[in-house]
Amino acid sequence: MNDWSLIEKLKQGDEAAFRTIVDTWQNMVYNTALGMVHSEEDAEDITQEVFVQVYQSVSSFKGDSKFSTWLYRITVTKALDHERRKKRKKRFAFVRSLFGDGSEVVVNPPDFNHPGVLLDRKEDAKTLFKMINQLPENQRIAFTLHKVEGLSYQEISEIMQTTVSAVESLMHRAKNNLRKNLETYFQQEQ
Amino acid sequence: MKPGKNIEKRIGQTLNSLDGIRRAEPKPWLYTRIMKRLDKEEDRSIWGAISSFLARPAVAIVGLCLILVLNGFLLFNEQQDSDNLAIEQVVDSESLMASSSSFEYENLVQP
Repeated sequence: MNDWSLIEKLKQGDEAAFRTIVDTWQNMVYNTALGMVHSEEDAEDITQEVFVQVYQSVSSFKGDSKFSTWLYRITVTKALDHERRKKRKKRFAFVRSLFGDGSEVVVNPPDFNHPGVLLDRKEDAKTLFKMINQLPENQRIAFTLHKVEGLSYQEISEIMQTTVSAVESLMHRAKNNLRKNLETYFQQEQ
Repeated sequence: MKPGKNIEKRIGQTLNSLDGIRRAEPKPWLYTRIMKRLDKEEDRSIWGAISSFLARPAVAIVGLCLILVLNGFLLFNEQQDSDNLAIEQVVDSESLMASSSSFEYENLVQP
């Protein structure tokens, strides 16, 4: 069954079609979310949110882009929303802790270990993910989609609704920033 | 200043550390958890729709008017009931007096 007939069936409320959609795209959505938020628990939560939104708003999908592009867009948006919510909570907890109401400040999670990274590269990947977190939002999205999901610049430009040359520029700046940050990091380590 | 050879090597290694990465997979039974969440969201959206409908100014004003009209109607009814009761009591007492007087009249010993 192709994407279109699945989507048409889902628009008519067919649960079997929804199950096929979840089974087909769950790894893609989960892996993208994990690459963005660096927490397995949060990635699972985002994946659920994405599919709930797909179920509820599939009627708004007009087919101007590929279904996978639409899914990537929802995932990236949800992941960014999730991060903003988390930051807001963190700030709020910090303010509350200043007034001594007993609430603890949420600390940063420990270094992120992506389960799909090759064993001999795990330590380097941990450092890289730490540095990716410091990139500006657009550079982070482009870099993550390219490196973690293996998407081409063309696909990324469709997801981010921009041109291929803009994605090339984002990737170039992302790599430069990472190089600079890594250099500082390693120099401090020595 | 250019970084040392060692640092340059480490930077290269780190930047390439995601090469050959495999996709991470979620825990099993994701579909079941999504359906559970959907049910919860639908429940929430039904209650949300009801409360937002009730919160509309027009609906709220009409509701308030209905309550006032109902209150007025009940008050009016109560007033009428109490008036009717008073009339009934007067009628009852008068008929009692009448019957007792007729009884006395009937029981009059004729000389």
